[in-house]
Amino acid sequence: MQPVLSIQGISKRYGSIQALNNVSFDVPQGCVFGILGPNGSGKTTMLSIILDILQANSGNYSWFGKPGSPETRKQIGSLLETPNFYHYLSAVDNLNITKAISGRGDAADIDRVLEIVKLTARKKSKFKTYSLGMKQRLAIGAALLGNPEVLVFDEPTNGLDPVGIAEIRELIKQLARAGKTIIMASHLLDEVEKVCTHVAILKKGTLLTAGKVDEVLANEDIVEISAADTDKLKSVLERFSGHSHLKQDGKLFELYFPLGTARMEDLNRHCFEQGVILNQLLLKKKSLETKFFELTND
Amino acid sequence: MLSLIKIEWLKIKKYPAFWWMLGIVALTYPSINLMFLKVYEDITKGKDTGAIAKMLLGNPYAFPETWHTVAFFSSFFIVLPAILVIMLVTNEYNYRTHRQNIIDGWSRKDFITSKLCDVLIVTSIITLSYAIVAIGYGSYTDSKNFYRWSEQLQYIPLFFLQTFAQLSIAFLLGYLIKKAFIALGVFLFYYLILENIAVSWFKYQVKNDIGKFFPIEASDRLIPVPAFIGNFGQDMKAGYQKALDAVPMHIGLTIAITAIIWIICYRVHSKRDL
Repeated sequence: MQPVLSIQGISKRYGSIQALNNVSFDVPQGCVFGILGPNGSGKTTMLSIILDILQANSGNYSWFGKPGSPETRKQIGSLLETPNFYHYLSAVDNLNITKAISGRGDAADIDRVLEIVKLTARKKSKFKTYSLGMKQRLAIGAALLGNPEVLVFDEPTNGLDPVGIAEIRELIKQLARAGKTIIMASHLLDEVEKVCTHVAILKKGTLLTAGKVDEVLANEDIVEISAADTDKLKSVLERFSGHSHLKQDGKLFELYFPLGTARMEDLNRHCFEQGVILNQLLLKKKSLETKFFELTND
Repeated sequence: MLSLIKIEWLKIKKYPAFWWMLGIVALTYPSINLMFLKVYEDITKGKDTGAIAKMLLGNPYAFPETWHTVAFFSSFFIVLPAILVIMLVTNEYNYRTHRQNIIDGWSRKDFITSKLCDVLIVTSIITLSYAIVAIGYGSYTDSKNFYRWSEQLQYIPLFFLQTFAQLSIAFLLGYLIKKAFIALGVFLFYYLILENIAVSWFKYQVKNDIGKFFPIEASDRLIPVPAFIGNFGQDMKAGYQKALDAVPMHIGLTIAITAIIWIICYRVHSKRDL
C-alpha cells in the first residue's frame, strides 16, 4: 500500500545549526505515527517542512504519492506548534476561516468538532479570552474539521490539564480506530507509548530509528526477579543458561534474554530446585523510556 | 480571487481597528475640508476684497473642482489607513496565522494575494469616503454647478492609485518588519520626514528634481495642488500647468514602483521560512 507520507533525505540548516540531517521515513496508511525526540531534536522543523511552512535545504517529501501542494494540505488536519487563531474572533468565526481556506466541513461540522473538544459552551467567546488548554483544544477541533483522513498533531497535549490529556489521548485512539492516519510529534514518552503504533526517534536532527513501536522497543526480553535471599538468588541466576546479562538494582534483578527466548517456567524451576523461592517473576518489554535514553544518550 | 476576498472579509469585518479607522476617516475627511472651506469663506466674505478673492480663487469646493480639492486635502491623511494596513499584515505574524493559513491549504502566493486584496479593500473604502465627501461639498457649496459633476472625474482613479501606491509602501514595511509599531514608526518617519527632506534637498541644494522618483513623492504628484493656486501670478500658473502635464508620467512611475513592491512581496514570500 502506498504510504500516506514519504520523506526522502530531508535536511535543513539554520545558519550553523543542522536542524535536520538527511532524514527519511515512510508513514503507512492507518497508523499512529509518533515522532519522538528531546526538545530541539527537529520534530517541529520536520512537521513544518512537510506542511510548507519551512523550506528544506535538500530532500523531498510526498503526500499520497504526490509532491506536497496546497491541495494535499487541504486534506490534512494539522496542529503545528501553537494554536494559531485570530484573537479578536470567536471560536466559530475562526473555524469559519479554517473551513473557507481548507474547504473542509460545514456549519454543522463546526458544531460537531466544538462538541468533541468541549468548547460548545464557549463557542461565541473571543479566542483571546480562552485559557491555554481551551486554545489547544480549539486547535485540535480545527484539525478535525471535515473529518480528514490524515491528521498532524505537534505536541497535542501541550497546555492541557490531566483530564484534558486523557481525553485527547482517548480521542486520538478513537480516530485511529476509525482508520485515520495520525502523525504526532511529542517529547512525552508515555504519550507515544500509549497511543502510537509506529515511532521515529530523532536526536539533534538525525533519525536514530523508525518502525513499529513493538519492533523498535522490544528487541530484548527482560525478566524482573527478586527473592528474600538476594545473594543466593544472584549466584543461582548467574548459573542459568541463555541470558545475555544480569543487572542488579537493590533487591531486584533484571535478567536479559535475546528477544523471545526467556523461558519463564524453566527459570522458575531452576531457582526452586536450587533452593531459592521467588517472590517476584515478571517478563517485561523494554520500556520506551529505557530505549529512548539508550538511543539519545551520548 | 473572489474566495480570497471573502476570507479576508471574514477576518476584517469583526476587527475593531477596521471600524475605528473607518470612523476616524469618516470624521477626518469632512473636517479637514471643512477647515479649508471655512478659510475660503472667511477670505471671500468681505464686500470688495471678497469679490476679488472669489474671482481669484474660484470656488475650490464647487463642481468640478471639488474632485480635485477634496482629493488633495484628504490625501494628507494616508497615515490613518496606513496604520490599518500595517496592522492587518503584522497581526498575521502576531497571531501566527500567516503559518496557519498555509497549513490549512493556501499557497504562499494565495497569502500575498489575500493581503493585496486587503490593501485594495481599504483603498476602495478610502476612495469611496473621498468621493462621498467631494460630492457632499460640491452640492453644499454651489448647487448651481452640480450639472458639471462629470468633469474632472479622473481625480477618483488618481486618488485611488495614489492611496493604493502609498498603502502598498506601508504594507511592504509591515510585511518585511513584522512588528506593527516599528513598521509604523519607520513609515511615519519616512513619509513625514525623511522623504520630504531628501526631496527638498535635491530640489534646492542640488537643483535636481530627482526627488520625483521617490516612492511617496511620485504618487503625491498624481494630485497637484488645487487649481486656484495657479491663479496667483504667471509663475504659479506655469508651475501648476507643469505639474498637471507631469501627471501622466507620474501615473506610469507610480504603477511601476507599486508593481515592484508587490513583486518583492511575492518573491520574498515564495522563498522565506514562515
